[in-house]
Amino acid sequence: MSERLLLVDDEDDIRRFLGMFLADLGYEVQAASNGTNALELFETFKPAIVLTDIKMPGMDGLELLKRIKARSPETEVVMISGHGDMDLAIGCLQYEAADFVTKPINHDILDAALKRIDEKLALRRQLRQYTENLEKLVSEKSHRVVELERQLAAGEMVETMCQAISGLSADFGDKAGYFNEMPCFVAVHNRSLEVVATNQLYKERLGDMVGHHSWEAYVGQALRGFDGPVWKTFETGKGQRSRETMLCKNGRELPVMVHTSPLGQRNGKVELVLELAVDVSEIKRLQEELRVTQQKYMDLFEATPCHIALRDRDYRIVANNTLFKEDFGEGVGKLCHQIFRHRDEPCPDCPVDVTFADGAPHTLEAVVTCLDGRTKNVLTFSAPIRNGKGEITEVMALSTDITQIRQLQDHLTSLGLMLGSISHGVKGMLTALEGGVYRLESGIKRNDAARIADAGDTIKSLVGRVRNLVLNVLYYAKSRDMAGEPVDITHLATNVAQIVEPKAARERIAFTWDIPAGLGAVPLDTANISAALVNILENAIDACAADTGKDAHAITFRAATTADAVIFDITDNGMGMSQETREKAFTLFFSSKGLKGTGLGLFIAHDVVKKHGGVIDLSSEPGVGTQFHIVIPRQ
Amino acid sequence: MPKTILIVDDDPNIREYLETLLTDNGYETIVAENGEKALEVLAAQTPDLITLDIEMPDKTGPWFNRALQRGKTYANIPIIVITGHTGLKYVIPNAVGSLGKPFEQKELLDLVRETIGS
Repeated sequence: MSERLLLVDDEDDIRRFLGMFLADLGYEVQAASNGTNALELFETFKPAIVLTDIKMPGMDGLELLKRIKARSPETEVVMISGHGDMDLAIGCLQYEAADFVTKPINHDILDAALKRIDEKLALRRQLRQYTENLEKLVSEKSHRVVELERQLAAGEMVETMCQAISGLSADFGDKAGYFNEMPCFVAVHNRSLEVVATNQLYKERLGDMVGHHSWEAYVGQALRGFDGPVWKTFETGKGQRSRETMLCKNGRELPVMVHTSPLGQRNGKVELVLELAVDVSEIKRLQEELRVTQQKYMDLFEATPCHIALRDRDYRIVANNTLFKEDFGEGVGKLCHQIFRHRDEPCPDCPVDVTFADGAPHTLEAVVTCLDGRTKNVLTFSAPIRNGKGEITEVMALSTDITQIRQLQDHLTSLGLMLGSISHGVKGMLTALEGGVYRLESGIKRNDAARIADAGDTIKSLVGRVRNLVLNVLYYAKSRDMAGEPVDITHLATNVAQIVEPKAARERIAFTWDIPAGLGAVPLDTANISAALVNILENAIDACAADTGKDAHAITFRAATTADAVIFDITDNGMGMSQETREKAFTLFFSSKGLKGTGLGLFIAHDVVKKHGGVIDLSSEPGVGTQFHIVIPRQ
Repeated sequence: MPKTILIVDDDPNIREYLETLLTDNGYETIVAENGEKALEVLAAQTPDLITLDIEMPDKTGPWFNRALQRGKTYANIPIIVITGHTGLKYVIPNAVGSLGKPFEQKELLDLVRETIGS
């Protein structure tokens, strides 16, 4: 470091040459030509050494020395004196001039004088540094003492609090068993995120962490850095609550619930943070056990091969299992009757309603429609689900698919029904046959040729009837494919129309048919297809007769053939069907006609068309009417 | 003067059988294929006995019987039920007798004779 030196002399040459010499010695030099200038420069340049001539016009060197020493006693001033100024020069020493040199200036003497001054300056600086260091040291030491006092106080506070907590938990007695057992780790942290104090348990279980970083006690926090609860508390000034995992002394990981709160604020900044960590491993184990149990129940709920739905009092589904979702779509939040039975209003026969009312289980058999349009016969069991107070909050409806059982039952029932009707038919035919035999015998006895011939015809036709009956029985006894000779469709459809016409006329229904000539021949089971069409047409007549909403009713019957299919359309403007009725229309023994219907007609029609590989499309609207669209492929 | 019997049955073969059997045994017969036709017959002449089937299309045996019982004129004509349905005799409570199909010729002829003589 080069010292600053201010050179003051009224002679230009001296200023120039002496300036150059001093600069060569390594000083940073500025020069002034008189005392006034020198004082001004002194303020801005702040030299450590001033080299000044004593005799100058205006303010002389002595005056300058006095003023400089008055302003800055530590500045070293060296006086330059001419011949005969020795007394004056010595006088200057009284005013604390550092030295004097005489003109003409001997460079060696000046150099020596400056060196002495440099040493003096260096010594003084060193002294000042020592002093400053000492002050700093004292300040540091005393700060440390204060800090230690504070930590001691914090530690005491932690232990006191722990005692208070354990005393508090002891007061709870048996009611808070877990709380008593709960080990609680307490630590105090400072702003540098260091552990300042911990309680005894903390030390025993987690190790002596005092002086360590706040995050070291946590698993994963060392990597995450500054985002732990302690740091957040310092940042936000607010208490934190989080789940963390702490690392035990023995390497075991410990799940804890951490609560932190700020302690003492200075200048709006949190000074310390109190951290309470509670070992929740037992709670965690119980929670895990609960989760496993819940999962088991959930698996059971999901995997049960039944449709399960939970419903509240407002007809909303609150839970449904996998099979339910597969067949009816996600029902949660939706209305039960809409999802399950496509009704706008709650079902009048709902077993869940009854269970809500009486708390007992109930059952219902119903026909429901899946997302893909399949209908299913289901048997629904309802069971109440109660809350802690024993009130029924929800009811579970568990529906078993009994479609196959129903189909089997349908088949058996239709067989039974057939047997009933067959036995009646057989009795009639037997009677008629006996009549034929009687007339044959009596004809022979009376030798009445006409009676004999007539009786023969009767017997022959009766044998035909028996044959047909037997074939019908065989049809119901085993499901065989429909097959038949090519049938003229125009002829078949016209026959059907003629069978139905009288009944339509009796009910005063305008029955029109559109059956083009020459529809061609298609292989069909004539009798069964005719019966199916008659069944549907008779249903249409009943639907019109039962409808009181309109003055006039009409039914149209249309037959057509395309390259690959035969098509029949039957349209009426009768009473129409609700969606529920529509879905059940083809179910055996489902009748919307009360005692008047057997529930057989549309079932058999559907069965016959299906066995021909065809489909019946049914669209209907209550109060408007119904359309049947039947398509039977040529093959 | 032979007695007249009204035969009501929807099966033409059975009508023919009863007609022949009863005629061969000295009775006169009239036939009707259902209850409505039978009422039309009654408007023209009054039989001494009616054989009545139960199940017929449109107007059944019970329908016909109720029509008879409503008036005084025909309420006393004896009725013999001939039906294929077992256990349906009660639907004609006023019947003098009931035969199942197929029936014994002798049983019918005895019952007819007991009721109206030969």
